[in-house]
Amino acid sequence: MTPGTLAAALPQFAPLLDPSALLATGGAVDGLQTAARVLAEGIGKGAVYFTIAVGLTLVFGLMGVLNFAHGAVAMVGAYLGGLVLVLVVGANTGTLATILVFFVALALVFAVTTAAGSAMEVALIRPIYDRTPTYQILLTFGVSLIIEELARIILTLRGIQPDPQWQAPMATAPDVLLGRTQLFGVGVRRLYLFEIAIGAVVAVAVWAFLTKTLYGLYIRAGSEDTEMVQALGIDVRQAFTVVFGVGTGLAAVGGVLLMWDPIWGPSVLLSIDVLLYAFVVVIIGGLGSFTGTLVAAGIVGVADSVTTWLFTTGIVTFPGLSEVTIFLLLVVMLIIRPQGLYGVEEVGGH
Amino acid sequence: MIVGFLLYPLAYEALLATPAAPFAEAFLPAITFMVVVLYMGLFAMSFDFVSGYTGYLSFGHAAFYGTGAYFVVLAANGQVPGVPEGTPFMITLLLGAALAGLLALVIGSVSFRLTGVYFAMITLGFAQVIYELIRSWGYVSTNPTEGATVSGDALAIGVPYVDALSLDVGRLTGESVENLLGLGIDLSATVVSYYALGIVVVVCYFAMQRILHSPFGRVMIAIRENEERARAVGYATYRFKLAAFAVSGFFGAIAGGIFAAYSRSVAPDGTFYFLVTADALITTIVGGFGTLAGPVYGTLFNQGLEDVLSTESGGIATLLREGLPESVLQADLFGVSLELFVNTAVDGRAPLYLGIVFVLFVLFVPNGILGTLRDRLGGTVGKRLPDHLRRYLR
Repeated sequence: MTPGTLAAALPQFAPLLDPSALLATGGAVDGLQTAARVLAEGIGKGAVYFTIAVGLTLVFGLMGVLNFAHGAVAMVGAYLGGLVLVLVVGANTGTLATILVFFVALALVFAVTTAAGSAMEVALIRPIYDRTPTYQILLTFGVSLIIEELARIILTLRGIQPDPQWQAPMATAPDVLLGRTQLFGVGVRRLYLFEIAIGAVVAVAVWAFLTKTLYGLYIRAGSEDTEMVQALGIDVRQAFTVVFGVGTGLAAVGGVLLMWDPIWGPSVLLSIDVLLYAFVVVIIGGLGSFTGTLVAAGIVGVADSVTTWLFTTGIVTFPGLSEVTIFLLLVVMLIIRPQGLYGVEEVGGH
Repeated sequence: MIVGFLLYPLAYEALLATPAAPFAEAFLPAITFMVVVLYMGLFAMSFDFVSGYTGYLSFGHAAFYGTGAYFVVLAANGQVPGVPEGTPFMITLLLGAALAGLLALVIGSVSFRLTGVYFAMITLGFAQVIYELIRSWGYVSTNPTEGATVSGDALAIGVPYVDALSLDVGRLTGESVENLLGLGIDLSATVVSYYALGIVVVVCYFAMQRILHSPFGRVMIAIRENEERARAVGYATYRFKLAAFAVSGFFGAIAGGIFAAYSRSVAPDGTFYFLVTADALITTIVGGFGTLAGPVYGTLFNQGLEDVLSTESGGIATLLREGLPESVLQADLFGVSLELFVNTAVDGRAPLYLGIVFVLFVLFVPNGILGTLRDRLGGTVGKRLPDHLRRYLR
């Protein structure tokens, strides 16, 4: 979906997608302002990428399981969150109430998917820990196939077309988030500020979970040396279940966050896009590293917004620039420093 | 197995003439699906060649499949420099495969410094970069996201420059044979293409099998089982892995090339995309990881399932719709009529059932169809089956 067709389909987003609004009009101050705006947008995108990827890195850090169903869960999260909003929010619901409903939806979706993720760990992944990690990749990939097809069936039965974006939840986005706000003389889209705020909350919550709770201790210890943790009498299996559940829940939170973003929007195809971006972020940051994911999400977000800006202003005429740059970042990082920015050499080195 | 593939079209045509035709149409794969088994089977085999035998999961294998497919189409349209328009298909096929082999050397030389998950990810990264580049490469056609089409004559499989020993392929453009050798057997264009593609696949299969049974193949297995020990014994494992990857890329490109020749068009999503690799991966696991013929069985299973669940050649949905009485079809099922349920949850839903089967295979039959069969029989099926049969027949 190109920005043009999206703008035609959703007139209220047209100002967001208008490339001329991004054009630098010359002059040092303007140039600086454009740079600041592109940077701010990059951080906004980075916040989204972080929310999507952090669950993946938690699960990998402790268990060495690369969860291929992560994207599918985010897709389900986007739909569930959208469902709650469409059901509750009406035409005359106030802005504050809408945002409140958004957070309720976020919490609800997190709870449901965390439970589902824990159940999945117990039922499907637990039996195959003793096999090579390849089988865990394969299993979760199979699960993602099943989730996607079930989503397609349900959406078709309910008369919501599966492939094009589902636009009802986007329409519930409050008008406040659609405009720009002046920040130090730079006009920044409020939606990005909103995403940065949520990303920050998620980051702080995960950080607190990792450093202040007992399970966080298990995770940090477990990613250093699982066998030693087990030898100390800690029930690593139970920790696995909890962490896998939380990781799945965080994927769904990322999905809910995408629901209002005109660049993403809920569709079944979201599943694979999200998965690939999450992989890029966690690998650049170092699989299993929380700090790494945070930094890498920022890098990928800024790279994304800079390349998008280069393309929309016509400086570079190559349409796939943003995607190519991001995957090139992945390849270059793996060549220079396979363990990623903050990764430990041996974690998951199997 | 080869005999089965040889006789299948004739048996299928014969069955369609009998009263059992509706059931044959519903449950047996049509010839068009069997053609897919051939090229996807070959691609899955090439994936298994490196991933199943050296243990390195190549998540970007679609890059080679796509290279072969695009090279063939571009060469047929005279768009490849140095390859004039009208060069026989067999030559462009080999050139494309060689190019993919070189590409594999380049990707592999960087990737094989990594192992496990990291190797899978870097190959995926390379493939996605190439995919995005191809999607935006205006040289291919005016609309590169849609891909390109062969504009000229049909492509022929056979001996180059010898017209009598070549067969045109393609569902609509291929040759058809009437009254074969005076036996009164007519072969449609699809069936002729099926045999022509089949010859290529069989040749590739034996070539790969030959390599795997050579000392080189033994080293590949040694790397899979214990790379450190293989290195300690004195093998330069890096070079062996690289060579295996190049060979695998070569055959993957041949699979892409015959696909392009048959379908006469290529699109980035059907060739270079991550999900093409995923298809090969799934069918390989179902058929048997580390058994060269296994992926073909897996693809056969996959295509059989897709055929049964699609309406294109009278699948199970058609059978239900026509066979069940109207009152049953309109029956209410949680607010949805049974007919609507059949239309949405059965028709064309192969990925769902394949996903379920795949998960069950990973959990309970990790060696796949052929691998498990071999474990049970204690050797390859061809060698062991006669003994077992004799024991039961006595």
